[in-house]
Amino acid sequence: MTTNNEAILQVNDLHITFNTFSGKVHAVRGVQFDLRKGETLAIVGESGSGKSVTNKAIVGILSKNANIERGNIIYRGADLTQYSERQFTQIRGSKISMIFQDPMSSLNPIMKVGKQIMEALRVRNISKAEARQRAIELMIAVGIPDPEKRFEQYPFQFSGGMRQRIVIAIALACDPEVLICDEPTTALDVTIQAQILDLIKQIQKERDLSVIFITHDLGVVANVADRVAVMYAGKIVEYGTVDEIFYNPKHPYTWSLLVSMPDLDTSSSDELLVIPGTPPNMLYPPKGDAFAPRNRYAMRIDYEEDPPMYRVSDTHYAATWLLHPNAPKVEIPDVLKKRIAQQTERLVR
Amino acid sequence: MLRYISQRLIAMAITLFLIISLLFFLVHSMPGSIVNDPMLPIDIKERIEAKYHLDKPLVVQYVYFLGDFLTFNFGDSIKVQPKVPVFDIIKDKLPITIQLNILALLFTLPIGVICGIMAALKKNTATDHGLNMMVVLFISVPSFVIAALLQYIVAFKWELVPILLSAEQALTWTKFKSMILPILALSFGEIAIVTRYLRAELCETLNSDYMLLARTKGLSQMQATLRHAIRNSFIPLANIFIPMIFSILSGAIVIENIFSVPGLGSLSINAINALDHPLTIAVMFFYSLIALISILVVDLSYGIIDPRIRMGGKK
Repeated sequence: MTTNNEAILQVNDLHITFNTFSGKVHAVRGVQFDLRKGETLAIVGESGSGKSVTNKAIVGILSKNANIERGNIIYRGADLTQYSERQFTQIRGSKISMIFQDPMSSLNPIMKVGKQIMEALRVRNISKAEARQRAIELMIAVGIPDPEKRFEQYPFQFSGGMRQRIVIAIALACDPEVLICDEPTTALDVTIQAQILDLIKQIQKERDLSVIFITHDLGVVANVADRVAVMYAGKIVEYGTVDEIFYNPKHPYTWSLLVSMPDLDTSSSDELLVIPGTPPNMLYPPKGDAFAPRNRYAMRIDYEEDPPMYRVSDTHYAATWLLHPNAPKVEIPDVLKKRIAQQTERLVR
Repeated sequence: MLRYISQRLIAMAITLFLIISLLFFLVHSMPGSIVNDPMLPIDIKERIEAKYHLDKPLVVQYVYFLGDFLTFNFGDSIKVQPKVPVFDIIKDKLPITIQLNILALLFTLPIGVICGIMAALKKNTATDHGLNMMVVLFISVPSFVIAALLQYIVAFKWELVPILLSAEQALTWTKFKSMILPILALSFGEIAIVTRYLRAELCETLNSDYMLLARTKGLSQMQATLRHAIRNSFIPLANIFIPMIFSILSGAIVIENIFSVPGLGSLSINAINALDHPLTIAVMFFYSLIALISILVVDLSYGIIDPRIRMGGKK
């Protein structure tokens, strides 16, 4: 890990709601994390847990019906929640950039890809010739063969993986410091996924980028992340280094996530464990711990009061009452224990 | 590309052939005779009918008709302007109809596009709701009602413009002033259609992923809308452009009669009423030709706006 401790982006107590016809949806309820220079922070959680919303708030592209109720996002000393649209256009692309889930739809279908890369440079008053030169360099950097010819082609002439490379080239065009990847590999097949992940890791190292990686694929997390934040129902329930989350998880939700993921030792006849129930309806956020109704270790206090963040180590925190000194001792489920043991063994060997 | 166009032209010729055949049988099955003067002796009537082959069986008449048609001999008018070649009559009536249509199109497109863009950008605001109300109103009220209302209010009550079209030949200021009402009556419904369509398309493109990417690379909302959203929402717009050209033309049949415009619309009504078969068929043939050509032009223009189609043909 080449991480130093300088946090370049801090999200503090962020609350975001959406106005809908049926009422206010509480999508993000007090998210707190920081991003350090040169590290990859993975945010995991199931659909609707507020991962994307949090990150759209950082880039300032929330939809019109969204309100930031409370909290702030500090980037280099400035609070992004107070930024006007005009100020945001100054930092978008050049300081903070974002790539999206579906490369099939995130490129303009009727504009040549070269022009789409150049556009990011052209809005910053770079001359046409120079922008073209830089765009071709970027295409080489993201591994596009024959860039001169590809420059003149349209997105529909590219495969999914190649399009995602173009999207990455666009995101990198103005040398941002922070790159937010919103499930960049979800829409790709597995072999292409691996290539794109390697590419992201490689450019991160070359350019000393800070990356926020949103995903619900724990395999991807293990592959790319330095630190992991687990989100549930608009809150971060546990965060720590990748080793801490995978080998010493503390929150019952993290346990369930890890157990429900198949690994190399899972045979096809084994039944995977599922998390019972569904996530809460965020129109009416539940009182107490949102995960309590699906949590077999839930105690009465879980239904009454939200657990605070308990410190496990300097880098590892979890929001569960199980970590309260007076809570009964609950061990990690046996399945998970066995798995962690196998993993560790494999690593030692 | 050339091969595509020639294929299309052949298909067009076949369509036209079917249309004129249908037209022929339709027109000739109308009741009544072209000789309706009861004072005329019966043998003269028969000789007139014989002159136009009207005494022969329909199939034989059809063969005569096709023969004439293939040699581009559209015949002379029988009753509307006797002995004048129908081609000359159409040539005579065409300019005013084309003037009206082009002006109506020129008026419709920009206003419809601007209203559509405004409604989409200001979605769910007072502007949008106001525009939506107008759209519903103008789509549901037929153009001849709007025409009559305009005539009554603007021309008769306020006396701003003349009630009927000025008879001057050249396009002078007075003539133009008298054309304003027919143009408005022709345009309102089409403006509403363009507005509604463009609003729906643009709302969708505005919510697309590539708009988000465009903004995250540093474009302002305005720049992203102008460079990415609008062009993409224009592609399906080309699709309603075909029916629009034609619905203005056919709307003109009624509107021309209301404003007594001596154009193709009133000509076609006169020809049908007078059982002037060659003229009716020629006018209808002309309408079909315009419709087919406009469809071809729109299909070809897809390739210009949408590279996915342009490249698809290039193998």
